[in-house]
Amino acid sequence: MTKVMVYSTSTCPWCTRVRDYLNSKNIAFEHIDVSSDREKAEEMVRKSGQQGVPVLDIDGEIIVGFDQAKIDKLLGL
Amino acid sequence: MILNLDKNKKTVSDNYDAVIIGGGPAGLTAAIYLGRARIKTLVIEEMIPGGQAATTVRLENYPGFPEGIGGAELGSLMEKQAKNFGADIIYDNVIDVDFKNEEKIIKLNKREIRSKIVIIASGAKPRKMHVPGAEEFEGKGISYCATCDGPLFRDKNIAIIGGGNSAIEEAIFLLRFVKSIIIVQDLPKLTAEKILEERLIKHKNVKLTFNNKILSINGEKEIKSISVEKTNSKKKMDIPAEGIFIYIGYIPNTDYLKGHIELDKFNYVKTNENLETNIKGVFAAGDVCKKTLRQVATAVGDGAIAAFMATKYLENEGG
Repeated sequence: MTKVMVYSTSTCPWCTRVRDYLNSKNIAFEHIDVSSDREKAEEMVRKSGQQGVPVLDIDGEIIVGFDQAKIDKLLGL
Repeated sequence: MILNLDKNKKTVSDNYDAVIIGGGPAGLTAAIYLGRARIKTLVIEEMIPGGQAATTVRLENYPGFPEGIGGAELGSLMEKQAKNFGADIIYDNVIDVDFKNEEKIIKLNKREIRSKIVIIASGAKPRKMHVPGAEEFEGKGISYCATCDGPLFRDKNIAIIGGGNSAIEEAIFLLRFVKSIIIVQDLPKLTAEKILEERLIKHKNVKLTFNNKILSINGEKEIKSISVEKTNSKKKMDIPAEGIFIYIGYIPNTDYLKGHIELDKFNYVKTNENLETNIKGVFAAGDVCKKTLRQVATAVGDGAIAAFMATKYLENEGG
């Protein structure tokens, strides 16, 4: 099964949009709140080269921001 | 059995009496009024309810909330209220429109919606900075959304470019994470409300610098500094910073409207005092309009007027 991880902060609207979108498509994902977990925040920056949220990790493929076309493609939606 | 899991497709039809583009305070207010007039209404929002206001940590100048209210919370309350009166809300991008005929067509990613009237309430987005380094470091130390990315700048020495309400409000928010802040303003003073300025300068780890023209943002892997030229003395200097938040104004979300409706030279939608555009049956409300003050309080007023005029139009002509 495809492993989906969503790195986000609690106050970020685009993060909410990503999570709502995945929920609406019945996609299970691991939600990582980088505002409270410094190690995970560093992991996200390492993976994405970005200091911004949301970041998605879909089976090792990194998507920065809410990029619906790319999410759909990787998840076969 | 075929299961249709796409909630949007299940509940939303392709024909409406009114389509509102944008689910911020202007669009959702219009939806409340149209819903109460029993007009079949659809709101199309790109991000989350509340639009740009939803990225504001705390709104303190919107009446009715003496302690202030979170932008995202206000947005979801407005969404709930609009839904209570029967409006449909979907989350999608408008990529094009066709206003040539009496029936208006709104083109989304994978479908088209037809409607008798349209209210444009697609708001504005932060203006990007165009100097060397700004694009390269975007998302890599430069952010346009403190609410989103603030927690990732813990214990850093950061700069905020801008001196208006957004810059100062977000600076106050960022103080809970960062080590220090320098406000880099182009004008000789801040343009933010006085109450915000007073609150900001109480903090010892905040510095302000004025009369700065930004020349470049410098660094190798990480941001190191901002090069500026003093607008008064023409002296050039570097301001050290490990992260930068940029609040230098807004640009309207009107790319999809170009060639379809009259815009001003800054691409804001031109309306008359009744918020009618140059196209019959198309109205505009909120930050997307050419206007003097862009606030939640003014957007809400616009939404009510646009919905009232749209209702009249449907009764007289479009219905």
